[in-house]
Amino acid sequence: MSAKQPHLIVGIGASAGGLDALQHLFAHLPDNTGMSFLVVTHLPADHKSHLAEILRRYTEMDVTMIERDTEVRRNVVFVAPPDSVVLLEKNRFHLAPRGGEPMHKPIDVFFSSLARHSGEEAIGVVLSGTGSDGTLGIKAIKERGGLTLAQGSEGSTPEHHGMPDAAIASGLIDLVLPIQEIGAELGRFASGFVDAAMAAAQTVEAPESYSEVYGLLLRHVGHDFSGYKLSTFHRRVHRRMQICRVATVEEYVELLRADTAEVTLLFRELLIGVTSFFRDNDAFDVLATQVIPKILEGKGSNESVRLWVPGCATGEEAYSLAIMVRECLDTLKVEPRVQIFASDIDEKAVSIARQGRYPKALMDSVSPERRARFFTEDGVSYVVNREIRSMCLFSPHSVLRDQPFSRIDLISCRNLLIYFGAEFQSQVMPIFHFALRPGGYLFLGLAENIGSHSDLFAAVDRKQRIFQKRDHSAFPRTPIIPRAIAALMQAPPLEDEENQSVATLLRHAVDRRVMERYAPAHVLVNRDGDIIFYSARTGKYLEPPGGVPTRHLLTQTRRDLRPDLRAALQEALETLRRVERRGIVADLDDRTSVVDLSVEPFGNSPGDPLFLVVFRDVGEVRERTIGPIAGDERVEQLERTLRETRERLQSEIEEHESALEELKSSNEELHSSNEELQSSNEELETAKEELQSLNEELHTINAELMSKVDALDHANADLVNVFDSTKVAIVFLDQNVVIRNFTPAATEIFNLIPSDAGRPLSDISGSLEDRELHREIREVAQTGAMIERNVRRADGKATYSMRILPYRAPSGRSEGVLVTFVDVTNSVEAEARQRVLVEELNHRVRNMLTVVNSIANQTLRQSTTKEDFVAAFTGRIRAMGAAYTVVAQRNWGDVLLRDIALEQIKPFVDGKAERMKMEGPAIRFSPTAALSFSLVLHELIVNAVKYGALAGVAGSVDLVWKRKGSDALELSWSERGGPTVAAPTRRGFGSELIKREIQRLGGTYGSTYEQSGFRAVLTIPLDESAVQVHS
Amino acid sequence: MLGVGNWPDLNVLVVEDDALVAWDVEAALLDAGCLVVGPANGINRAMELMEANKLDLVVLDLNLGKTSSAPVADRLQEKGIPFIFLSGHSREYLPERHRDRPLVSKPFHPSLLIRALQQAMEHSRAA
Repeated sequence: MSAKQPHLIVGIGASAGGLDALQHLFAHLPDNTGMSFLVVTHLPADHKSHLAEILRRYTEMDVTMIERDTEVRRNVVFVAPPDSVVLLEKNRFHLAPRGGEPMHKPIDVFFSSLARHSGEEAIGVVLSGTGSDGTLGIKAIKERGGLTLAQGSEGSTPEHHGMPDAAIASGLIDLVLPIQEIGAELGRFASGFVDAAMAAAQTVEAPESYSEVYGLLLRHVGHDFSGYKLSTFHRRVHRRMQICRVATVEEYVELLRADTAEVTLLFRELLIGVTSFFRDNDAFDVLATQVIPKILEGKGSNESVRLWVPGCATGEEAYSLAIMVRECLDTLKVEPRVQIFASDIDEKAVSIARQGRYPKALMDSVSPERRARFFTEDGVSYVVNREIRSMCLFSPHSVLRDQPFSRIDLISCRNLLIYFGAEFQSQVMPIFHFALRPGGYLFLGLAENIGSHSDLFAAVDRKQRIFQKRDHSAFPRTPIIPRAIAALMQAPPLEDEENQSVATLLRHAVDRRVMERYAPAHVLVNRDGDIIFYSARTGKYLEPPGGVPTRHLLTQTRRDLRPDLRAALQEALETLRRVERRGIVADLDDRTSVVDLSVEPFGNSPGDPLFLVVFRDVGEVRERTIGPIAGDERVEQLERTLRETRERLQSEIEEHESALEELKSSNEELHSSNEELQSSNEELETAKEELQSLNEELHTINAELMSKVDALDHANADLVNVFDSTKVAIVFLDQNVVIRNFTPAATEIFNLIPSDAGRPLSDISGSLEDRELHREIREVAQTGAMIERNVRRADGKATYSMRILPYRAPSGRSEGVLVTFVDVTNSVEAEARQRVLVEELNHRVRNMLTVVNSIANQTLRQSTTKEDFVAAFTGRIRAMGAAYTVVAQRNWGDVLLRDIALEQIKPFVDGKAERMKMEGPAIRFSPTAALSFSLVLHELIVNAVKYGALAGVAGSVDLVWKRKGSDALELSWSERGGPTVAAPTRRGFGSELIKREIQRLGGTYGSTYEQSGFRAVLTIPLDESAVQVHS
Repeated sequence: MLGVGNWPDLNVLVVEDDALVAWDVEAALLDAGCLVVGPANGINRAMELMEANKLDLVVLDLNLGKTSSAPVADRLQEKGIPFIFLSGHSREYLPERHRDRPLVSKPFHPSLLIRALQQAMEHSRAA
């Protein structure tokens, strides 16, 4: 075994009712098993399957519909397309055309291809479905050692039992599980399989470890496997161990000891693969050379040769025989009629056999010549041709329960007996013996034997298990006893024998004597009228007919009793009640007697009833003719009457015989037309099944569509809400610039009403000042390139950002144009405002710099030293800064005089600030006026600090203001207690600045130097825009 | 310092609303040998001074408080008195009809102010 990781490939066959089953299977299947899956279903070829989409909802694995030859990948679910059959070759799925014939069996075809490709790494799963597709495929998989599973009826039952039941009935299914467990079991098996493969690659147990197993098999089934090929034995035992979930051989031996059923299962596992065409070719060769010619030779063309294949299963054995017989017939001049009766208890198997259609993989053992001659190939399977097919007659039949076929030349019963115990074999052998004509042959499987029945059969070829009937036993040694009566007869006696007293024994002897002597004659028959038990003294009523011994009651009954007995039996069989017939006049022996007879059901087996037939002679007919026989004339008359009667009888008999012939032939016709009906019925089944599967899928898709429609409804509702709520105006246009739809906001731009959908946009008047719009829309419709720009309303009240876009259909194709308008009026205005602000800022900065430049220039003119300049200049700049501080605090609104003054005095520490006293009403200054006034105050304060009242430690300043008249403000600046001051010789910068600033405000300025100190008076006009009284 | 070109003792009106800037302009004109009229801090005052004096040149601030000095410029143009703009704004903010008048940007250097005045004079004489 190579070290390669095993690759399990799972074929899943499902049909009617399969969709539900598949959903359950995948819902319970782990998605990382490393296996590959192929789902095969029955669907009409022209139907597009949605199975892949449906399954995707139940598994995380990739689900792919096979559309062309594809490599098999792990952890992928492949779905077979309905119009093809899938084959597996060299790790690739190949598609083959499905062909036109109605009996389409894609599951069988794929399974057998899978079996051939993967061998032991193949797994076949048969799920719900009608018909029997899959059974042959399962057979192929099992033959090559793969694993087979079927959906069982436990838990949730499959919707349609046909397919799984057929597969299960074949006896080749390893595990029958409820659908919910199949997925998990597959997962478990996959992991176990890998381990087992590893283990097997490393160790092959010594034969000794199996000695227990050999022993158990020998003991229970009488077959010694110790000579069997060890590797195969090892694999098959391990397969059983996996299925039983047992880890070691020791544990398995324990299981075998405890459960004899498992021994049987192991036995079957070991014998798998024995029912294909010409299986065990050697044996068939012997049959063809030694047996078949003997059966056929010397038979006339009106004679028939009859073969019987009990347990024919799916028909390969029967067809193999038919082929060999056909080949042999070719060598003969005269061809007798050949009939091969193939029967099986399983009707499904019989219907598969009847179809005679086999996947290629099952045809390996058929030579190319035979394939060409006896089969028709349809690409993926072979169909038995008419010549062979017409030789075979298939029917459901139980070897044990039903009446056996008779006058058979060859019984081929291969590998049926191994499925049953020794008891069955000992029951079957006499049946076979009975069914064969003298010198007939019996052909058994290689693992089978005639057991203890060597008195019935003689070996022709012991190795190939070919036997011939021994003819010396004139009468069937063992009557064919239905099981029911056999059980009845073996029932223990009512009383324990040991407790029986002498009296009781005597009683029984008396009973027996009375019965023999006085009881009416009676027989016990089964439903077919075969006698099972005779009482004493039945000879009066029964007479063995000439010819082959028979046990049939009616053929033995004396003629006069026959019609009444037949009618009574029939009635009893139908009603299961006691039936009586009285006063039947019959010639019994030489007397004319009157007989009563009764038929009554007997025993307690309703399925297999027995009947007790009692004959009672109630006396002779005294005299049929009243008068005495009168002479020869009378005799003559009687003789004539007798002759006429005989003639009439003769013609009746002839008529009867010809009617019988006709019946026979019409029966045969009916048989064949029945066959035809059967097969057309099966064709109809297949068609019905395809429709059923299709219907299921359509149901699912319909449900899905419904939910999609719901989702669409929701999406549509969302869209409607978006339309109604959005402020974005959108107009949808088709390729011809005809309006398809628009949002309510669009009505503000175009004069649209809901009924305008369908009209060209050019018909609608708009409120834009734009003439280019229509040309641009056509351009976008043609080129598909977007256009974006701003447009204004004609009334100038709004600006829109307009975008013209191609409308993309879901297919990606451009199917018109979309025009959107976003109102950007606010942002356009904001932009303009922004520009103004920036310019204003620019202007102010420049003005500020100009002012600073002026202060610097003028300060420089007045300064004598650099230190003077720096002190004065920085002081003034600071004063300006302080003014701005106050203005900024008021957010560039008006500020109070008091606040301006406080801010200007603030830099002067050491209590100087507190020495300036202020008094006056609340006066408001505009920002520019405040700035001017700040510089004025600064100059006054600096002067006082430098030379005046604030220079020393004691002086103070009074700043007092009041309204002067109605339109002016008067401020006085009075210094007291400072050093003595005198008027300066020339006017300084400070007073020049004060004068100019006050002039600018439209006011006047005057100053005096008095004894007490410097004093200044300022008059400023009250003006709405500059200085005013605060209200 | 020379006067404005070859024309000393020119009467120059200063129209400027900021006292300190006006002072600086005045100083520059005086340094250049001009006679200063004003300064006027508003349109009305400017108009008054314009009518009351014989003016040779005018230095005109574009913004007077919150109003534009365009009416003053219009009047000057009518009277044929050469003038220059002094402004923190760029040229595009000048009234369109006066856009080719000399413009001195704030903050100004005295020499640029004087040169602009010379240009205005020359231009006026040439016309």
